[in-house]
Amino acid sequence: MSMLPPVTEDARLIKALYDLVFWLAVGVFVLVEGLLIYSVIRFRRRRADELPLQVHGNRTLELIWTIVPSVLIAIVFGLAVDTMTRMTARGTLANPVAHVHAIGDQQARRRVEAAQPVDMVIEVIGRQWVWQYRYPGGDVITTEELVVPANKNIRLDMTAADVIHAWWMPQLGPMIYVNPGEMSYVWFNVPPGEYVGQCNVYCGVAHANMIARVRALPQAEFDEWFAQQSAAASVAVEPGDPERGRNYFMNSACVACHYIEGTKAQGKVAPRDLTRFATYPTIAQVDGLENNAENLRRWLKDPQSLKPGTAMPNLNLKAQDVEDLVAYLLTLR
Amino acid sequence: MASISIPVPWRARAKSGLLGWLATVDHKKIGLMYMVMAFSFFIGSGILGLLIRVQLAAPNQTFLDPQTYNQVFTMHGTGMIFLFTIPMVVGGFGNYFLPLMIGARDVAFPRLNAFSFWITLGGGLVMAMAFVLGARSDASWIAYVPYSNKQYSPTLGMDIWLIGLILTGVGSTLGAVNFLVTVYTMRAPGMTTWRIPMFVWAMVTTAAMVLLATPVLTAALLMLVADRNFSTQFFTANNARLWQHMFWFYSHPAVYIMILPVMGIVSEILPVFSRKPLFGAKAVVISTILIGILGFTTWVHHMFVSGVDPVIERFFMFTTMVIAVPTGVKVFNWLATMWGGSIDLKTPMLMAIGFLAMFVIGGLSGVIQALVPVNQYVHNSYWVVAHFHYVLFGGAVFGIFAGLYYWVPKMLGRMFDERLGKLHFVLMFIGFNLTFFPMHILGLMGMPRRIATYMAGRGWETGNLIATIGAFIIALSLLVFFVNVIKLRHAPKAGNDPWEGNTLEWTIPSPPPEYNFRHIPVVESDRPAYDERMRALPH
Repeated sequence: MSMLPPVTEDARLIKALYDLVFWLAVGVFVLVEGLLIYSVIRFRRRRADELPLQVHGNRTLELIWTIVPSVLIAIVFGLAVDTMTRMTARGTLANPVAHVHAIGDQQARRRVEAAQPVDMVIEVIGRQWVWQYRYPGGDVITTEELVVPANKNIRLDMTAADVIHAWWMPQLGPMIYVNPGEMSYVWFNVPPGEYVGQCNVYCGVAHANMIARVRALPQAEFDEWFAQQSAAASVAVEPGDPERGRNYFMNSACVACHYIEGTKAQGKVAPRDLTRFATYPTIAQVDGLENNAENLRRWLKDPQSLKPGTAMPNLNLKAQDVEDLVAYLLTLR
Repeated sequence: MASISIPVPWRARAKSGLLGWLATVDHKKIGLMYMVMAFSFFIGSGILGLLIRVQLAAPNQTFLDPQTYNQVFTMHGTGMIFLFTIPMVVGGFGNYFLPLMIGARDVAFPRLNAFSFWITLGGGLVMAMAFVLGARSDASWIAYVPYSNKQYSPTLGMDIWLIGLILTGVGSTLGAVNFLVTVYTMRAPGMTTWRIPMFVWAMVTTAAMVLLATPVLTAALLMLVADRNFSTQFFTANNARLWQHMFWFYSHPAVYIMILPVMGIVSEILPVFSRKPLFGAKAVVISTILIGILGFTTWVHHMFVSGVDPVIERFFMFTTMVIAVPTGVKVFNWLATMWGGSIDLKTPMLMAIGFLAMFVIGGLSGVIQALVPVNQYVHNSYWVVAHFHYVLFGGAVFGIFAGLYYWVPKMLGRMFDERLGKLHFVLMFIGFNLTFFPMHILGLMGMPRRIATYMAGRGWETGNLIATIGAFIIALSLLVFFVNVIKLRHAPKAGNDPWEGNTLEWTIPSPPPEYNFRHIPVVESDRPAYDERMRALPH
């Protein structure tokens, strides 16, 4: 009955409050269930005709069990407010009104900027059904994981592209909704390690696949990783690899909607199954959209532009992933 | 017992056969129909719950595809809340026993009562048939915009879901008016304020809540129907929080709409099977009313992480926690009722004790998750799923079965088999705890609700497997109950008063005649049936 081990100060504050109140609750639980079990055993009916004393009430007792719980509740309320105040003082999420605001609200934005000095700001877009991370400079965009330098103050500037999502990394601190048309923020400073969480507002068919991973690397390793990513973003992509494409397909949101016989992909949203995709004359039954590598590339990059209203969202795939997926899909015969 | 004679009105002469049911305006027949309807939806929604548990028994399962899974949990929640619990406790128990307990021959507006039932059934059937035929919503029972907008939920199923709920909402609202007027105007002579039975007090409070809350939900549903079909823009993306406010303004009080009547049932059963009056009856009534009022001041605790002013958060955290005080008063009064009593562990009493034992857990986890910082961890996690199942299954469902074991002998005139009843209780108690207790731990380990599957390696496997096993034990316990129901046909007769009851329904035959009371009784205390028994004792 314990929360996951916290790795940030905010998560520690939350867990400390939870632990304290949990044990208080256990105390009340033992008292009530103890009285209940004792009564059932001690006051079992022994004779069919026994008639116990007809007690209608007792003012003193009733006052006690009104006042004592009230005091207890007041204390717990005080503890919670204290935790909130401490989190607000840290400039972190316990003050959501400052940290969730309409996209155009410059005043709220200035408050956020002033809340806490940060070493790195990463823009996060939640969309059906991936988290997309855009690093400073704009060249590096990742979706599988958020790689951050360890022991640095990180701020995530988050918004949603479609429906409501929620950012929940249990070990990293408070959860927050990520709403379309609004900005939400989280701050964290974590030791090296890998942390996992996922979208926590139901957002549609592949909601369960909207995993969020944070990998914190020591600064030197992070710099190396970032340089690699920057370089990769500027060089041409290599030819698609069907095996990599298959891996990507089976471990992403694709499987929630698509069906491929004999695989993990058992989704039933897409109207046609993909088991023999390469033999289909057209893509997504769009007239004139012949099923070839070039058209498939265009389709994967932006399905809505080729078939407005299709259930398939723009997943903002990276160029290399598109190449790999094209290679894989065209092996399906 | 003293009584006054009022001639039985002509319309009390019952029609028989199918027409007797379809055309009836008798509150007892309507109550029974509500119960049969609600119980059917309980079975249907329960089967959906089993499908959920099969899917989640192990990681990466493909028993249900994600789309179907999402439709299944949407309908499981909708069915259990709107088509089972509320119609069962309000429409079913309320209709049947509220008039009997106040010594009336029917409700104030019998025809309106029939209309309420048929429109509720209509709404339920619209949703259920659409579900079976494949027009299903997958937006979950909270149907948050923008997900439930046309753009993201273009299906017909979403519209049908909205319309079905509007219909059942109209049924509840009209039923609430009926109950309030009935209790206000039709109590037997001598039934002064403090002699009104606990179940009736609970129903009055519930009816007032239904009357104030349900129209807000109905309005929100209509606005969403208009947004989806007539290009209005009540809930545009930047106004998504308006839906959350309107939805929870109804749906938090809905929890009390479901639990208060059950608390009323338990407040009737505990004294009878302890052979003592309810301890601190006035305090229990005042607590009931306070819970009803405070229930309207807490809805924003469902929105602590969606971006709400921190001052407002503190206010709603406070009001949410304060509800624990009147609730605690009730719990301690129930315990004190049993203390020093002569406790007879018949099945109704076992179920009521089960209610008490399990509801306490739900109440305590409710206080814990009301704390804003804790809520920022457990919100929407399986912890919450565990919490509300402890309130609505551990609480409401155990209380409903307590009511059924207590009152079916009155309604059908036959006694349940005690051994099967006890077996049902034991199996359900074990199954319930196996299913829902591990969910607390799963939530703390990071498992969100409403996910169609999960990957291996996050430590969620064991808890989920135990929960699935528990769910099948619950199903087994319900089979035992059905056997008990079938055996009723040849069970011993109940007589007027098999339990030594306290309230007026135990002074008339089982099942009660169409007109309920041959002579309208005159009430002299809060326990008229007890008074009558005492007078009959040889001096």
